[in-house]
Amino acid sequence: MQRTAEQIEHDLLWPIFHTSRKYWIAVGLATSLVLAGVAAFGYQLYAGIGVWGINSPVFWAFDITNFVFWIGISHAGTLISAILRLCNATWRRPVTRCAEAITVFAILIGGMVPLCHIGRPWLAFWMIPYPNQRGIWPNFRSPLAWDFFAISTYLTGSCIFLYLPTIPDFASVRDAATGFRKKVYRALALGWQGTPRQWQRLEIAMHIMAIAIVPVAVSVHTIVSWDFSMTLVPMWHSSIFGPYFVVGAIFSGIAALILAMALLRKLLRLEEYLKPIHFNNLGKLLLTMSLLWFYFTFAERMTAWYGNTPSEMAVFWVSIRQHFAPLFWIMVFCNFIIPMPILASKRLRTVTGTAIASCFIVVGMWIERFLIIVPALDHKFLSYSWGTYRPTWVEDTLMAASFGAMALLYLLFTKFVPMVSVWEMKVGLQPHPGFPLPVPAEEQHHSLILEGPLPTDVAE
Amino acid sequence: MKVLYALYPGPDAAQDAVDSLRAAAADLKFDAKQIVIVSGEPHEGYEFTDSHTTSAPYRWAVLGGICGGTCGYLLTTISQKAYPLVTGGMSITPVWTNGIIVYEMTMLGAILTTLVTLLIGAGLPNFKGVITDPEIATGKILVGVVGPPESSQPELEKRLRQAGATQIKYASAPNS
Amino acid sequence: MVVDLDRCTGCEACVVACHAENNVPTVGEDQAARGRAMHWIRVERYWEGDFPNPRVRFQPVLCQQCDDAPCEPVCPTYASYHTPEGLNAQVYNRCIGTRFCANACPYNVRFFNFYNPAWDKPLDLQLNPDVSVRSVGVMEKCTFCVQRIKSAEIQAEAEKRDLKDGEFNTACAQSCASKALVFGDLNDPNSEVSRLDRSHRATKLLGELGTKPNVTYLERGSWQDATNG
Repeated sequence: MQRTAEQIEHDLLWPIFHTSRKYWIAVGLATSLVLAGVAAFGYQLYAGIGVWGINSPVFWAFDITNFVFWIGISHAGTLISAILRLCNATWRRPVTRCAEAITVFAILIGGMVPLCHIGRPWLAFWMIPYPNQRGIWPNFRSPLAWDFFAISTYLTGSCIFLYLPTIPDFASVRDAATGFRKKVYRALALGWQGTPRQWQRLEIAMHIMAIAIVPVAVSVHTIVSWDFSMTLVPMWHSSIFGPYFVVGAIFSGIAALILAMALLRKLLRLEEYLKPIHFNNLGKLLLTMSLLWFYFTFAERMTAWYGNTPSEMAVFWVSIRQHFAPLFWIMVFCNFIIPMPILASKRLRTVTGTAIASCFIVVGMWIERFLIIVPALDHKFLSYSWGTYRPTWVEDTLMAASFGAMALLYLLFTKFVPMVSVWEMKVGLQPHPGFPLPVPAEEQHHSLILEGPLPTDVAE
Repeated sequence: MKVLYALYPGPDAAQDAVDSLRAAAADLKFDAKQIVIVSGEPHEGYEFTDSHTTSAPYRWAVLGGICGGTCGYLLTTISQKAYPLVTGGMSITPVWTNGIIVYEMTMLGAILTTLVTLLIGAGLPNFKGVITDPEIATGKILVGVVGPPESSQPELEKRLRQAGATQIKYASAPNS
Repeated sequence: MVVDLDRCTGCEACVVACHAENNVPTVGEDQAARGRAMHWIRVERYWEGDFPNPRVRFQPVLCQQCDDAPCEPVCPTYASYHTPEGLNAQVYNRCIGTRFCANACPYNVRFFNFYNPAWDKPLDLQLNPDVSVRSVGVMEKCTFCVQRIKSAEIQAEAEKRDLKDGEFNTACAQSCASKALVFGDLNDPNSEVSRLDRSHRATKLLGELGTKPNVTYLERGSWQDATNG
């Protein structure tokens, strides 16, 4: 059933003008988690990092796990929005804004972690290269300095990538709103009118942004992985880390996206827009990523095992047989053994099926980040200093708070911005939608550009 | 300043209206630039949209990238040479590590330049107010003339109606 | 520095001396059990063989002051860098506590102040005024008693002469009863440390990693091996 433009406008702007009780409860829960995290962080500032479980030699644990995890989640938006946009995959239309929002908020949360986990967080601004009297300057040879530049660039790019296609939707809300709301959205819409020149410029800008943001995203998680692989630590010093982390990021990102979409469907009454075909397609992508993740994990462990270097094997056995073995096998279970059959069978690749697989994957990927970091630090070269690690309540609270913060930011976003792009859905109604690359004026012709059947119609 | 406009159900009708108005522009004493088209979504494949295609933003983005990369190179190299501190036996200005900073600054330059070219090219932020109609939200396309001469208005109305307008309206511009 | 593993008895006087000289805090029993003990020099103890003939090896491990130190390039604020004299310096004021250097160090000789260090009275009166007291959130490690080196250099410059071998010494080498630790200037080919560095027993700890450590370990002589009884 084709929806009309009017119906689209009404359905997608409905959540902005109506708030349900469930929404307030969800916001309340998320806020309380965030406040608990703020309290825990305050305690940590006051007493010192000693309130965490880290020690010598495990100097990074939950903090960097959360950092890598959230930066990884942020790769959802880029893949879905940018790459599918470049490939003219029209089924991406309802999904892009959900994905882009996850990206921005995940980077925000992930980017906060390095600022909060250092021993003297109040001096974190020393990473910024600004002229000063202290004789402080960042060391550009350090992977942490690369992190700073990469994450700043990615955050800027993602915010712009999220904001630009939202401008026409802000204009729609502006036109439908009254009073104070109208003023706010008028400011957000920057006076957007909708002339063909503006539309064309917007499409071109989105095209350039899509081309630019993909290499940035790949570089961001590669640089994050180089925080580990640039050291000599056994099982860290591996060139596979770059692609391994990027694949893992996209994997966890798509899982988070599916979860977010499944929830939004119910909360915002978007069943007609976030359709089973979208979950089916994303499920196929998730399956590919699951297989790729398995491939990379296997390749990394296999080469370590075959090489049989004592220092690497010490770390290897910690994960496979010794005290981290239960976590390791849970991870394989969550990332591969459960999702693979669900995602591989068309019958199970439904909204519920993919959502269940995604839950497992999100948990499994968090464990994976943890298992990359801690066992290797546990067992470095000199066996006398091998250690162990147990988290404390402060770290558990901060981790829960990061999930709460993500939920809170996302919920607030759904309140103020249409979660499905109104104008892109309207473009989907056109007889020949899609964004053909701009044709110079001399070459354009009036004949309609024909494409195949609309993917959005296939599942009807 | 008044706007005389009509609403069209689809882009074909809107294209006819625009062609008809352009053809009459000289006779009816208004400039083709006074023709305004407003829609709730882009309509690719039609002349009134595609005529605004340009490759300038791409060139600007490349230029912005080059500027960003140069800034990155200068930032790293000059600051490292100014206060040379040896770390780990590496050279003072290692090419590969500085290259990462240069790469990120290049992409940042391209991204920011794209934002600026969009804002300038689309005339945002626009403080002058917009010409809009509630019917646009339902998918109609607004085609009209800003500030038409009094004498030309009946002829304009006729042309707009011929192209398939459902309603002709007058509004003071800008409204909203 | 040269560490003669044949002479080391595992008495750990070096550890105590280092704590005293460099204001290294004792973290307490609870924190030490959690793995946060801060011993800039530690004596590693490895058991070999089983009952009834277990053998123990002692190995003092301190910051190796590597020429190609892996801890230096990873510090984002240049808190860890290589001085022109060839020492690996830790600048406490620049440290923001990312702990990257500690992860990168293959020898695990870098330590973090998880809490603000405290000394029970009257031990606070025993602090060395030549050495700073670090605050919470800052990394620290063996400096080869750079305050003693600097003090000797200043004295020599004031007297307009060169430094002599044996004029300056680290606290650990000074307190070693069996003279297992020898410290000096490797650039001076006539110094005791240079002579020992040329020994046929000289090895480097984890030398295959390419960190180029400046601490030389003299292996235990072959007459001590189990095969020879």
